[in-house]
Formats: sequence, structure tokens, C-alpha cells
Amino acid sequence: MMQKRQMEILEHTQLTEEIFRLTLAGGIGAKPGQFVQVGLGPTWEPFLNRPFSVHNCTKTTLSLLYRVVGHGTRLLAQKQRGSILSVVGPLGKGFPPTKRRQAVLVAGGIGAAPLYYLMRMLRAEGKDVIFLYGAKTAAQIVLEDEYRSLAREFYLITEDGTAGTKGLVTDLLPQILGENEAEIFACGPNAMLRAVAQTAAEKKLPCFVSLEAQMACGVGACLGCVVATADGNYRRVCADGPVFAAEEVFRFGS
Amino acid sequence: MAPDLTVKIGNLLLKNPVMPASGCFGYGEEYASFYDLSCLGAIVVTGTTATPRTGNPPVRITETPAGMLNAIGLQNPGVEAACVKIRRLQAYKTPVIVNVAGNTVEEYLQVIEVLEREKTVSAYEINISCPNVKAGGMAFGTDPDTAAKLVAALRPATQKTLIVKLSPNVTDIVDVAKAVEVAGADAVSLINTLLGMAIDVERRRPVLANITGGLSGPAVKPVALRMVWQVSEALKIPVIGMGGISNAKDAVEFLLAGATAVAIGAANFRNPTVCPEVINGIENYLTRHGFQSVREIIGLARTQGDR
Repeated sequence: MMQKRQMEILEHTQLTEEIFRLTLAGGIGAKPGQFVQVGLGPTWEPFLNRPFSVHNCTKTTLSLLYRVVGHGTRLLAQKQRGSILSVVGPLGKGFPPTKRRQAVLVAGGIGAAPLYYLMRMLRAEGKDVIFLYGAKTAAQIVLEDEYRSLAREFYLITEDGTAGTKGLVTDLLPQILGENEAEIFACGPNAMLRAVAQTAAEKKLPCFVSLEAQMACGVGACLGCVVATADGNYRRVCADGPVFAAEEVFRFGS
Repeated sequence: MAPDLTVKIGNLLLKNPVMPASGCFGYGEEYASFYDLSCLGAIVVTGTTATPRTGNPPVRITETPAGMLNAIGLQNPGVEAACVKIRRLQAYKTPVIVNVAGNTVEEYLQVIEVLEREKTVSAYEINISCPNVKAGGMAFGTDPDTAAKLVAALRPATQKTLIVKLSPNVTDIVDVAKAVEVAGADAVSLINTLLGMAIDVERRRPVLANITGGLSGPAVKPVALRMVWQVSEALKIPVIGMGGISNAKDAVEFLLAGATAVAIGAANFRNPTVCPEVINGIENYLTRHGFQSVREIIGLARTQGDR
């Protein structure tokens, strides 16, 4: 149930120079792919809350995995264990339930964040999960062992070749998919999502992408975070997404 | 005994003087899971036009010091589809005010004509102040004669309460306010957003696709408060004050300046339960200072100054 909660930081770990994992006390009953808005107050700087995807959610905890990219995340990174954060959520529509036996999860950089919880839930349903984790460089890969341990097959790929294969996730994706009747779930930079969506379209496989946008309200009221859809309309990333069917937001050829 | 929070705006008797600001509250349903909307003085739904509007391309919002810029561009499904959403608000025991926008006098009239059939709608807020659309919007609100002609054209179309939402992007807001009062408005609401912009220095171009946008949030509060002070002094009809109100203290400032009611906008984005918190805070303030009714403090800062 969407709510505003005051949640205590149980654990706040710096995983790399830029990436942190934050665990808060309290269950919020989120579904994989949903997100929360975190307040960084009490001052007016910054004015708006910051949206973060749910990295993991249990009956008693909520975890976020985030990269420091600006003013808001810099402030968040300074918050200590025991501090209280204002958290609004769970927000948005999560990943849809899959009817297929096999799921291929494609992560680009910090886009791995929501796919951990998705993988955990898919495994709990007895699904077969292949995880493809791509990043610019080895330093942007975090929690490799945790991801690897949940996946039946796990692939690492970096643009500079410092970890795993050298290249882009879409270099590996076609052969990983092979002739499998898999469903694809992806989160990462827009260019990656577009390329993954194109591969999925070529193989006629269902594909869902989780988008990122600057947000104000996070609940669908302000219409600030819209994405242009393939049919020429705008949809709200916060309330209509952040997960969209790939064909809703990307159009290829013809 | 708990203080009396009721106020009157035109024909509307509000159970308290706090409502969300149009454009910041969608069609109400977005905030309904946080609290019972019946606690609000009124529900104000987003700017509604005769036909659907897709709005401006993204980027539509950006954060600024103590506030934000938006250039949504009046995205809405059009009045017919809006009616379906508005009817759902019947479930709440509070008046529904619809913000009405258009490119032409005829379009404003068309919207009102459709909404006249809806018994859920108690009042109209005529939007003559949207800074983010090419035609209409603010163009009606920056010239007193144009504003007055629009209001005079709409007045015979309805018995419902007619509120006119004023733009701060004018030389003298009092001139426009007086003109719409004479033309038949039952109340005015102010301020809409202040026209502003931001530039992305890395990409060396404006942040917003629309280039300019409307500034809101705590940053605009002093400007809004000054304008509410001036307008409520000059007008006989009630003023609904808004602009950067984020807590009960801010709201009380507007009431003391002369506003009969207040609206809360961008603060909802930061704190989805801000409206009920402000209602409670106003009640506490009145109790703490021994006032029996919120009406006792409306404009009180002005009369205190005269003594």
C-alpha cells in the first residue's frame, strides 16, 4: 500500500567509489520493478524527493542500490546508520508476471538494482533465470556473487574488458537467447534498452524495460516525468511505468 | 471547543480553508491512498480544455533552489474524458473545483457547458495564467481588459462559483484583479507560477524542452504573499492565496495577509500528506492563540498595522 513512512537506516554500505547499498527497517510490500521516493530534507535544498528502484524487499527490510550522480544522491550517501528517512511508496507498476518458464534479465550499470529483487521473486516461483550484467568497466559491477548465486546462468560483460567479456550486452544477448522462448526484462541506460528491445523484436520475444526519469510527485499527479510512446502520446514514467512493454516506448524500422 | 475552520468562497461553504492547487493534484485519485480526501476544504482538479492536449515534450520539470520549474503544457484528456474522472470524486464529502483552460473565449465556454451537466462540480477556476502554452492561457491574464472580457463572457454561462486564477507575470496584478471582480468573478486565486528558466551548462542549452517554465515552491512564497496582500486589500471578493505554501505557518501567513483560503501546490510532491498536516496546523495555531474562528485572522496582519 502506497504510504509515507519514516524509516530507519539499518545499514549503509559503500560498495565502490560511487555505488552504495542502503537498507532500511520496515517492510513496504513492494513488487519487483516498483520504486520509492526518498526525502532528503529537512531543508528546501533539495526541494524534491529522489526516486529509487526497490533493490530488495522483505517482510522487515527495504534495500536500495544507488549510484551517486548529483546533489541528491551525494546528500543521501552522507546519511548514517540510525538516521530516519522519509520514504513514499511503493510507487509505480512493477514488472508484469511472466507466464514463460525462462526469463533473461539484462542489467546495464546501476540498472542492475531492481533486477536483483525481480530475480529473487522469479526464482521463488521456480523460474529459470539467465542474468546478463553489463557495465562500462569492472569498477561499476557490484554484488557480483549475490547476482551470480541466484542465476542459473550468469554473464558479465564490460565495455573496456576489465571484467568478463569485452563488449556490450547486446553483443552477447542474441546467442544467450538462442532459440529459447524466454521473456526479457531489462534496466539500464536508454541506448542499451533500445538495443535490447531491438534484439527482442527481431526474435519476437516479449520484452519489458524499466525506465528512469526526473520526477516531481512520483504518484502520477504532476505529469512531469512523461516519456513519448511509440504511438505519439506521453505516458507517466512514475504511474504508468516505470516498467513498460518495449514496443510501447521503442519503435523500429518499417 | 475546537475552532471553527469554515470559510465561504462565492456559493461554496468550505469546511476548512485548505485545498490543493490545480495541476499539482491530478484528478485527486493520485493522493487518495495517502488520506481521506474528504478532509480537504475542496478538491481542485487539473487544467481542463475542450479537446485532449498532449502537453509539451520532455524535459518538462527541473529542480531549482527551493523549488522547481515546470512546463507541462496543460496535458489533459479533454473535458469529456475528464468528467469520468471527476465523477469519481463524488465519493468524497467536499466541493470539487475544476480548473478551466482554453485558447479562445469559445473554448472556455465549451468546457463550462459540458461541466454544467456534472453535479459533482461545485465551482470553476478560470485559468488565465498558464505560462506554458502558446495560445490562450496567460495571454488572457496579462491584460486587464482581455481578462475582464473573458470573465464577462463566462459569467452568464453558470450560476456556480467562478474563481479566476491570476498570473504574477504582470506589471500590476491589482489592475487585473479589479478588472475581473467588476466583470463578475466570485473570487480570485493567486499566484500561478512565475515565468523562469534554467540552462544545462554541460550541454549548453535550456534544460526544459519548452525553454521557459513556471517557477513554484518555497522560492516564490514572498512574491506570492506580497501579491495576496495587495489584491485582498483592493478587492471585496475573497482571495485564495497560493505560492510556495509548504506548512501551516506559511498558510497562516497568507490568511493574515488577507487570503480567505489557501491552496497547496508543489509541496504535495515533496510531502504527499502536506494538506491534512496544514489543516491540523492551522487549527492548532487558532487554539494556541485563542481564536474561535479562522475568519478572525483573515487579513489580521493588515488591520494590526493600522493600529
